[in-house]
Amino acid sequence: MKNLYIVCFCFLAVCLTNAQERYLTKSGEITFFSESPLENIAAKNSQVLSIVDAGKKQMAISILMKSFMFEKALMQEHFNENYVESDKYPKATFRGAILNFDTITDKETKVEVKGKLTIHGITKEMVIKALAVKKDNAIVMQGDFFITLSDFNVDIPSVVEKNIAKEIKVSFNFNHQPFKK
Amino acid sequence: MKFKKIIISALILLIIGLFVAYKMYNKPHVNVADEKATVSLSAAKLLQDFSTDEATANADYLEKIIQVKGIVAEAKVENNKGIVTLETGDDFATILCHLTVEETKNINTIKVGQNISLKGICTGFLMDVVLVKCVITN
Repeated sequence: MKNLYIVCFCFLAVCLTNAQERYLTKSGEITFFSESPLENIAAKNSQVLSIVDAGKKQMAISILMKSFMFEKALMQEHFNENYVESDKYPKATFRGAILNFDTITDKETKVEVKGKLTIHGITKEMVIKALAVKKDNAIVMQGDFFITLSDFNVDIPSVVEKNIAKEIKVSFNFNHQPFKK
Repeated sequence: MKFKKIIISALILLIIGLFVAYKMYNKPHVNVADEKATVSLSAAKLLQDFSTDEATANADYLEKIIQVKGIVAEAKVENNKGIVTLETGDDFATILCHLTVEETKNINTIKVGQNISLKGICTGFLMDVVLVKCVITN
């Protein structure tokens, strides 16, 4: 009987600590920017789901491709239909380990997140640099990095080759709040 | 004389072509407020459709204007954009409605617990079903 109590207590303790150690945002922002001689293209997604697991020092991000909003409707249409084929691949994901998670303080700290980025059905191993800060019980992470379109098998027809950069700048800003419930 | 006619008609064609191309390039975004919703359903039903079969729900709802009815669980403004969360009966999953810039001005009229009907463009399902460019319809 005593053992049972101990087991129950341990189980409860694990549940409680787990619950406290998750941080999440459902309205993370990702923007990307393509700079080319002919035109600049920018798009913004404000519905990114990002979860930080402080216990495991990991983070997981899910992105809806159709949530990227462009200035011009035609660009958005081309992006979804021709380039990332969002009907076939509706989501992009990133899962990784925050390498120096314990160094995050209430001042901006440089961290590296090593993990797998999946876009357009192709998965690439990446190390992404970010600035992290833990303030008022929230974990804010922001930064930017470049991705190469050909790495993810995104074909750009030669007609519009000059309109779209081969390397796209991706910026992110996540304000993770403690996960309740 | 014949030569001149050809040049003039070619020029007219070119101008029309350029005009059409320019119009297409600047094609406006769908204005949700002016469009009729493709489907109208409750928040609980919308979530159920996505959680039982996401692929079918994606085909049915993505990029369509959806009118959804439900009870407000939360209404807040983040980065100057209004977000209304609808209850679904599920503890974790909700319907997340991101309002348009204009509609965000009316966020103060929305009270937690009230019945509401919104329409917006469905972009998919993460933890919650996401609707963007939402306007309030009642």
